Amino acid sequence: MELSDSVLAHLRHVAALPDLSGTRYELESEIGRGGLGVVYQALDRELDRRVALKVMDAALAGEARLIARLEHPAVVPVYDTGSLPDGRTFYAMKLVGGARLDRYIAGNPSLAERLRAMRRIGEALAFAHTRGVIHRDLKPQNVMVGEFGEVYVMDWGVEAVAGTPAFRAPDAHLDQRSDIYALGALFQFVLPAAAPPALRAIVAKAMNHDPAERYPDVPAFLADLERFQEGSAVEAWREPWWHRLRRFGERNAVLLWLLTAYVVVKFLLFFLRKV
Amino acid sequence: MDADTSIGGHNAQFPSTQVSLLDAAASGLSGEALERVIALYWKPVYRFVRLKFRKDNEDAKDLTQGFFTSALQRDFFARFDPAKASFRTYLRMAVERFAANQHESLNRQKRGGDVRFEPIDNQAVAGESAEEIFEREWRRQLFSLAIEDLRAHCEQSGKQVHFSVFEAYDLTDADHPSYAELAARCGLPETTVTNHLAWARRMLRGFVTERLRGTTSGPRELHEEARRIWN
Repeated sequence: MELSDSVLAHLRHVAALPDLSGTRYELESEIGRGGLGVVYQALDRELDRRVALKVMDAALAGEARLIARLEHPAVVPVYDTGSLPDGRTFYAMKLVGGARLDRYIAGNPSLAERLRAMRRIGEALAFAHTRGVIHRDLKPQNVMVGEFGEVYVMDWGVEAVAGTPAFRAPDAHLDQRSDIYALGALFQFVLPAAAPPALRAIVAKAMNHDPAERYPDVPAFLADLERFQEGSAVEAWREPWWHRLRRFGERNAVLLWLLTAYVVVKFLLFFLRKV
Repeated sequence: MDADTSIGGHNAQFPSTQVSLLDAAASGLSGEALERVIALYWKPVYRFVRLKFRKDNEDAKDLTQGFFTSALQRDFFARFDPAKASFRTYLRMAVERFAANQHESLNRQKRGGDVRFEPIDNQAVAGESAEEIFEREWRRQLFSLAIEDLRAHCEQSGKQVHFSVFEAYDLTDADHPSYAELAARCGLPETTVTNHLAWARRMLRGFVTERLRGTTSGPRELHEEARRIWN
């Protein structure tokens, strides 16, 4: 039988669709696909709500259990898991609205908004590391920014994941420090072109080729980010004196203005007395 | 809805009927295993040769036949190392080398003249490389074989109606009929049509996997190749 291109494309599409008969879900549309599976929007008929349904090879079924261990505001909650008649496995999770991080950044948010998203991502990663889970494939396509600024880190890694080249650490074995490298690469992606040098230094430290030279853990990365936001010196950068002076000026602007005003008034009074 | 057969039945994985290439090679590649490889790869190799080396139909057929004959004589399949590449890539590269050598030797014989070139196959999509065509033809052949497996399975298990519904809806180049139209045409309730379709697609997926299993080195390569098929 000679199949035309259009029939072949149709067959590849329909034969890949999950057969959800016998489940509480009704397939609605495809949301996205990656190396590890396809995510569909489905209707949960029992609870009358829409969910995201990820369908994958049975060998990767551990991902759902892994995510279920991560109860955190920035990790999409898993509702349910199951098997399809063809042996594939699926799990249902909260359907998150909003935009993927790469599309969110394309909308040119402010630096404060970008840093806020990075903090949320870092907090999710730090939490996962305390549970012994590493992400393995942190990249903009795996982060969603919701309509109200909420951030969700998705596609938590399973053993089969080898990472995405631009975000993957050059380490032989992926571990928490490899996630810190990916966090740095993600931060680099999130930063605007004219980012302050202190933030560039945080990126460089997180992405150091030598894992021992990176931040020891995600909280250390977040602490440096917080230092920047508070106007303090970041650990990742030995700043030149004029930067320190400028930062001092920015941090103590009110005090400096008061001092200047005081000196000016004193100066004027001094001259008025003379006159 | 008809009860499922054990093959591809509910909550069961599609049963494996084919051993991997490596397992087959370990016990001396059987005629059956070779047949599977040739059934899947003959056409992609033929089309690859036609496009990349601009051979006419007869020359491409001879070259393809020559490649498989030479491969069998030279223990080609036993030398496949899955650590280096997928079997599909290994085979394509071997074809490329073989065809290039043959092409060169033919040119030498004819002193660079009188070599017949055919226009590029009209199935080649603009901008598509010969490698991409090889992969596309591999997919096409894989699905063609899986459909034949499905047809044979339906005939053996008395599910000809299932196949007819599948053929009318999924194998047509024309616009797909609505489920209601198809139900009326086949004299079946609409839900039976959708159930038959779901069953046939599930089985087709299983047969595609089985064909892949028989022409890959093991679970890792099978998974990788399946990903290329479905994504």
